[in-house]
Amino acid sequence: MKIRTLKLLVKEGANNVVKNKLMSFASTMTVVVTLFFLGIILLIAVNITSNIEAMKRELRLTVFLKIDVSPFHREEFVNFIEEKKEAGIITDYVIISKEQMYEDMKQILEDEVFLKGLTVDNMAESFEIKLANPDDSDELIKQISEFRGVNSENGIGYGKDELNKLEAILKVFNYIVMAVLAVLMVISVFLISNTIRLTVFARRRQIEIMKYIGALDSFIRWPFIIEGLLIGFIGAVLSFIFTSLAYSWIQNVMNVILTNLNLATLSILEFSPVALQIFVIYSIFGVIIGGIGSFLSVRKHLNV
Amino acid sequence: MIRFVDATKVYSNGVVGLRNATVKIEKGEFVFIIGPSGSGKSTFLKLIMHEEVPTDGEVYVNGYSVHDMPRSEVPYLRRSLGVVFQDFRLLPNKTAYDNVAFAMQIVEATSREIRRQVPLALGLVGLSKKAKAYPNQLSGGEQQRVVLARALVNNPAVLIADEPTGNLDPKTSWEIMNLLEEINQRGTTVIVATHEKSIVDAMKKRVITLDRGDIKSDEQKGIYFNED
Repeated sequence: MKIRTLKLLVKEGANNVVKNKLMSFASTMTVVVTLFFLGIILLIAVNITSNIEAMKRELRLTVFLKIDVSPFHREEFVNFIEEKKEAGIITDYVIISKEQMYEDMKQILEDEVFLKGLTVDNMAESFEIKLANPDDSDELIKQISEFRGVNSENGIGYGKDELNKLEAILKVFNYIVMAVLAVLMVISVFLISNTIRLTVFARRRQIEIMKYIGALDSFIRWPFIIEGLLIGFIGAVLSFIFTSLAYSWIQNVMNVILTNLNLATLSILEFSPVALQIFVIYSIFGVIIGGIGSFLSVRKHLNV
Repeated sequence: MIRFVDATKVYSNGVVGLRNATVKIEKGEFVFIIGPSGSGKSTFLKLIMHEEVPTDGEVYVNGYSVHDMPRSEVPYLRRSLGVVFQDFRLLPNKTAYDNVAFAMQIVEATSREIRRQVPLALGLVGLSKKAKAYPNQLSGGEQQRVVLARALVNNPAVLIADEPTGNLDPKTSWEIMNLLEEINQRGTTVIVATHEKSIVDAMKKRVITLDRGDIKSDEQKGIYFNED
């Protein structure tokens, strides 16, 4: 296709959008609504994921040594931890000595009765280890449990399971979201294809004339496809604007709620770092929805 | 140029549009296709344009085998034909100039070619001064001239006119017929389907008469066949 022809076809397609104001508006709005839901759901998922990741980073692996650990076995374990720290797998660790543990116990138990008979020697030394990557935890726990100085039976604790449950719930949530989005998209495609069908119908005489003059099928089809693509893209841009407005409002409200609930460790992501990605996703989806919608209609109703 | 070999067209509802038609139209001829309503005039023209394909037999137009041609080639066949309709079929939202230019844009002519050819075509049909008018600002005769200009602008080998004067008064009809004759004298083959007895009788051209799908007669310098 020659450049001047392409220009002409784009112009025709754009003219169609402007001429059929009402239908263009209706189908643009369906794209806006679909993408708006897509965006909000996406942002919710991103927020949940990022908060889970943040919690994972804050997680510490607690390892208790045996009460009667020998200095050699203790040394062996400390060397291992140091090694892992140098390798970057462990970012940091704290040693909680027997004495420290006894003091903590006193605080927790308060009542002297429970402390009777407990001495510093009844306490076990423990390590609080922070991992660089929470996903390494399984491998590390396996290695640690093999040390003779470690109380491997019930002395290793990691709160990952709870988070895993949360992640599993998130996964289910994602599937539901995808299903809802698929339905919304089918609706959008259907509505756009209807809009294009009406344009095709309104212009059937022109199409007929073009056929008599000897226009190629592609020449007749492209303006309609372009019309769909434009509707999709305009819908994407509008939806992006609405999403950013809605999100900043939600962000403010949520921050107030989280502060009031003393959940300030949870944070709502800023919009600007993900704005470009959201815009690209919107544009791609908008154009795909518009393209498929018009293509279906043109194929079905443009019998050239 | 145009050749029908035993061509038959039976529509899906059983109506016979054309039956065993064998006819040859040479380059540069001027031919009237006449006959009462339902005689097959339109079918004859539709077969030439590949709007319909023969159910039997062969149709050759400008080197294309219409009875057996891939869809993708149809536009090229049509570019070798100029078509004029009774109801004009102009694009109402384009000026006379743009309507003619549109036919050239479709065949991907350069804007230079368009700027050169469109005024020539409008000049040929005597509409240079109305180039900027929209169809609804033109009389019937003027609209039909625009259609002629549009049909001619790509220099087709064959001009097909289906009842070109059906919606025009007698004076304007004659103007259009004179234009068609002028176009024919420049070398374009002209095929006109018509009801207008007076025009056919006066012009003394080749006349193919159809009746209920059959070619009833084919005469050089013929006249409109008498129904008595």
